[in-house]
Amino acid sequence: MTHKNILFKSLIILSLFFSACSDSPNIDNLTMLDGNQIFDPSIYNPEKYLVSQAIPIPNATQKNTPVIIAVHGYSATTFEWDEFRTYSDANADILISQVLLGGHGRTYEQFKNATWRDWQDPIMAEYNALREKGYNNISFAGSSTACPLVLDMLQKGKIPNNGMAQIFLIDPIVIPSDKLLTLIGLVGPMLGYFEATNTTAENSYWYRFRPQETLNELMDLIDQVRKELQKGYKLPSGVQMKIYKSIKDDTADAVSAVLIFKGLKNSDGSDIDVEMINSALHVVTRLEGRDTIKQEDRDIQKIVFDDMLTRIRNN
Amino acid sequence: MNKKKLLTFLFIASIICFQAQTFDTKNDWLGILKVGIRTQKTQKLYWENGFTVDFTFPKVLNNRLHFGLSYVTTRLGSAIGTNAIKQDNYLLNVGYFFRNQKKLQPFTRLNTGYFYADYESEIFDKLPNAAVLLSLDAGLSYKFKAPITIDLSAGFNLNTGSGSQGPGTLYPIFYQLSVYYIVLKKK
Repeated sequence: MTHKNILFKSLIILSLFFSACSDSPNIDNLTMLDGNQIFDPSIYNPEKYLVSQAIPIPNATQKNTPVIIAVHGYSATTFEWDEFRTYSDANADILISQVLLGGHGRTYEQFKNATWRDWQDPIMAEYNALREKGYNNISFAGSSTACPLVLDMLQKGKIPNNGMAQIFLIDPIVIPSDKLLTLIGLVGPMLGYFEATNTTAENSYWYRFRPQETLNELMDLIDQVRKELQKGYKLPSGVQMKIYKSIKDDTADAVSAVLIFKGLKNSDGSDIDVEMINSALHVVTRLEGRDTIKQEDRDIQKIVFDDMLTRIRNN
Repeated sequence: MNKKKLLTFLFIASIICFQAQTFDTKNDWLGILKVGIRTQKTQKLYWENGFTVDFTFPKVLNNRLHFGLSYVTTRLGSAIGTNAIKQDNYLLNVGYFFRNQKKLQPFTRLNTGYFYADYESEIFDKLPNAAVLLSLDAGLSYKFKAPITIDLSAGFNLNTGSGSQGPGTLYPIFYQLSVYYIVLKKK
């Protein structure tokens, strides 16, 4: 081969390499949330998902009814809390606001351009809207990434004393299970995005493609929350917390529960409640859409739901 | 826990005994013996600090192969006055140092040992908190005129937690700096 030939071939390979780096993922609009056809239904029907939209002027009874702000995790949608809503509608007299995180439930591009503070904004927006309307028994239920988002809100003092009743954290992520996430700053820009292993059903409710920017945001968020827990802080008075953590979890390492238990105390200095669950599923409170659902998982889901509702009732 | 404390005590005691020897003894089997402090940072996680010993033998690749023992812990690092997990790393290091006799020596090292994290509450008894350590690191060693050597390297833990097995705070990438004092040197 001549020198010119080698140079030419090298340039082709390099240009292919770089074009591959900046390539957009192959999104199927008809089947994937990432596309421009499928969106989270709370965007079309906010009054079906948010109590602040459903009841413009609550009466005294409604203001005293417990409201749970249920928030999903990274790359997910309001779907993650649908089963809890169905269960509590049948078994309890409570209102539920299913909040959609900023940048989520929309398109790949919108996800890519959102920071973790953007993700967090709708949580505070709904909380403030409910407070303004006079609801006096507001609780929070978060899964996975919703947990560090709310831990950050607590650390920054955004929830006042007696401003929340119960906080439920399901599989909080402070330490990731996939340790290679720690390298996202380095490998992310080279690869551009990562593809998740969604089931066919899950493709409508979870982003299939995760832009490296969003993984960087996730890593920044959990790193910050970890450091805040290291310094230590307390819940506002009148607020109770319970963590439900699967002992095996391929997304949120179970040691996340240890860090929260060590770093966050009740206002009187006592320990928060932690229940380690004999499950290998991440967010066992969401089962629909999974390929296999075992009866023992359904049993665990029911136990957790019942425990949450009992705590709300006994508040 | 008492076993760990005993091991640590013996480790430190052996270093002190080594230091009690005079400089430049007339041994012919030990090359260079260094004792030092080691500071280590895990990418996106804790500072773990401690002690380290490094020794060579003239009969083993003419002092090019370095053997070492290290102990680094968050108890002397990130866990001081914080809620960071208290975890200990006991290491055996075997490294090959290039450019023998020169001041600046690149090196590559294989390390093995034991990792233990203390979760402090029986609520977490079911979680894995110990593991065999197996890592590779590579970097540069610089020997000053005074009997001080500095080693700086980046390393990769091959055996990390994964969510379904292994301790959660055992992460892949770390960086370490060791500052040694040469205690014994064959003439």
